[in-house]
Amino acid sequence: MAAKTQLAPALGTGSPQPKRRRSYMAARSRVGYLLVLPAVAALAAIAIYPLVYNLVLSTRFDVLTEPGTGHFTGLANYKQMVTDPNFWGDLGRTGIFMVVSVTLEFVAGLILALIVHRQFKARGLVRASILIPWAIPTAVSALLWKMFFDIRSGFVDFALKALHLPGSQLVWFNSPTLAWVPIILSDMWKNTPFIALLLLAGLQTIPQEIYESARIDGANSWQAFWAITLPLLRPAIMVALIFRTLSAMLVFDTIFVMTGGGPGQSTEVVAYYDWYKYMVSLNFGFGAAVAVAITVLALILAAIYVRLLRQRGGFMA
Amino acid sequence: MNMPRQVRRRTVAVMSSTALLLTLAGCGSSATGASGPHNVTIVFATQGLGTEAQATQAAVNAFEKLHPHIHVQIETLSASSNDAYQTLITDLTSGSGTPDVITADVIWPATFAAAKWIMPLNQFHPNTSTFYQGMVKSGEYHGKLYAMPWFINVEGLYYRTDLVKTPPKTFAQLTADARAAMKKNPKLIGLAFEGNKYEGAVTVFQDISGGFGGSFLNAQGKPVLNSPQNIKALTWLDNAIKTGLSPTAVTGWEEGNVQQAFLSGDAVFATNWPYLYPLAEASGSAVKNEVAFVPTPIDGGQPTASLGGDDLVINKNTKYPKQAWELVKYLTSAKTMTARALISGDPPARTDAYTPSLLAKAPWFKQEEVVYADATPRPVTPLYPQISAQIQEALSATYSGQETPTQALNQAQKAVEAIVSGHGS
Repeated sequence: MAAKTQLAPALGTGSPQPKRRRSYMAARSRVGYLLVLPAVAALAAIAIYPLVYNLVLSTRFDVLTEPGTGHFTGLANYKQMVTDPNFWGDLGRTGIFMVVSVTLEFVAGLILALIVHRQFKARGLVRASILIPWAIPTAVSALLWKMFFDIRSGFVDFALKALHLPGSQLVWFNSPTLAWVPIILSDMWKNTPFIALLLLAGLQTIPQEIYESARIDGANSWQAFWAITLPLLRPAIMVALIFRTLSAMLVFDTIFVMTGGGPGQSTEVVAYYDWYKYMVSLNFGFGAAVAVAITVLALILAAIYVRLLRQRGGFMA
Repeated sequence: MNMPRQVRRRTVAVMSSTALLLTLAGCGSSATGASGPHNVTIVFATQGLGTEAQATQAAVNAFEKLHPHIHVQIETLSASSNDAYQTLITDLTSGSGTPDVITADVIWPATFAAAKWIMPLNQFHPNTSTFYQGMVKSGEYHGKLYAMPWFINVEGLYYRTDLVKTPPKTFAQLTADARAAMKKNPKLIGLAFEGNKYEGAVTVFQDISGGFGGSFLNAQGKPVLNSPQNIKALTWLDNAIKTGLSPTAVTGWEEGNVQQAFLSGDAVFATNWPYLYPLAEASGSAVKNEVAFVPTPIDGGQPTASLGGDDLVINKNTKYPKQAWELVKYLTSAKTMTARALISGDPPARTDAYTPSLLAKAPWFKQEEVVYADATPRPVTPLYPQISAQIQEALSATYSGQETPTQALNQAQKAVEAIVSGHGS
């Protein structure tokens, strides 16, 4: 920023001294540009090019089973998308999944972070081991949880029966509402450690002195948690929530593996809708339009979060 | 698998692809590839693990001995049909010349042919006279043959000969037989079938629907999913679950679950494919010598056995069409098919491969051949994946009690009409 404001007036005047300065600055910035060029090129190749390509594709009729008929259709794909009740149904389900899973994962992650933040024996071992679920591929953890809930061989049914709890003999995946339970549990099991890790890092930046002075002022631990820990953890909380919300919005593999969107359509989400348009309908133009819509929604969500963070002063401000 | 062989194979592959690159980079003029003395490597993408993989390897080894200038590199695709399909779509969309030869589920060639990813095989003058004609038809698109049948697969009804004296001819008889056996042993499952939201549920529905006289598309190719026959068929399946003839768990079952239930002796009837037969007759099986395989019953319709199985197709962009065809011709010869059936139990797609020696070693093929007679392909259209997805949704919505069979099939009909007319996807 500073260099730019200095450079601007120098370009305006034509006096000899600034000229020398300008050539020096120009040379300097040329080197700078050259140095960032590889990074920009890489970014352009892996992020911008696909994005633009997708944007162009979304304005075309491009169905692979009808080769040679591809043509520009303007906003026809988008029009078809917003008039499709399935799109809105899937989007609504995605929203509910996002709110429920992120809330549960956040609460569980916070509790987990507070526990492993304390001093106790074998803390390092516990900290490392809570990360194991996070290191397991999503498809694998989804398969694991699918088997846990299997009525013939899963342990959930066995445990419920042994404890005389209601819910044994239930075929979870045949109920439009209950099918979400294994999905959300699997998602929680996999992603809670990630939130816990981010929050733990945040906890470690809070100086102990603040707690000491609060104790001297007579605050109990509950008050200290609400008045010190939570507010000072805000930046870490925000980062964790942004990451999790966006990835919850794109949830696909867990649902694909566990229910295939069923029973009926009851666990179909918007990423599943997109997959269907691309891979089943082979309608690449339409699929691209859905992908663009998802990207825009993700950007809006991210912008809202960043704004919230800025408003009340976080470290990203 | 011994190391030196693999190493040699890989070396050859690297050498020949390097040679190919040099040819491409250096002189574009040389007319290599066709049939000269140059070594070529063709990539064969196929599914199959265990004994199926052994059978493929054995066939490829024999082929390489016959054609010393053609080397075949086997690329093993995912055992899951859906995953393998997506891998192939990715390869083929990119216009890549490899894999050269591809194993395709019988429901794929129409889509692949419409997308111009595979080549018509008529130029090689294939002789399909001894093949099962239902399978040959499933490989045709716009009057041209795009796929050579490799092995046939038909879905039929397994039953326990110790619990059921004569195979049921009608659905009412099936229910009565199952009920009688369940009365004696309440732990038994009357009918184990595939009810998960996936392709396998569609083939079961087609079997039952055909028995009631229904079909997915009519003779003119128009969707008739909500026909009275289809509604009867879905109601029958739904009632099987609701009345306890089948456990609610079947709503999540695929072939593997049905297999487990049947082989452990828990089921009176089961819908499944021929692969189950040798497993049921294997030593250690709980149902050895107590199993029979028949076409599904009827009620006003025809016995219907959904046709599955695998075809071989050739990538349109292959650099070695002649060599690729040589491989396809070899793999689909009667001799190779017989050998494969002996190793892996895959039923040959041509009648002349069922030699007396094969039938002596694998007597169940005699029973299976009866079911092949009722083989019914699923609609041969590039839109089949979308039609199937709509049927899967209707079945799943019915089994989970969200919709009645009539509601679900009406909705599927509407969706499929839109797909066929090009106004939906």
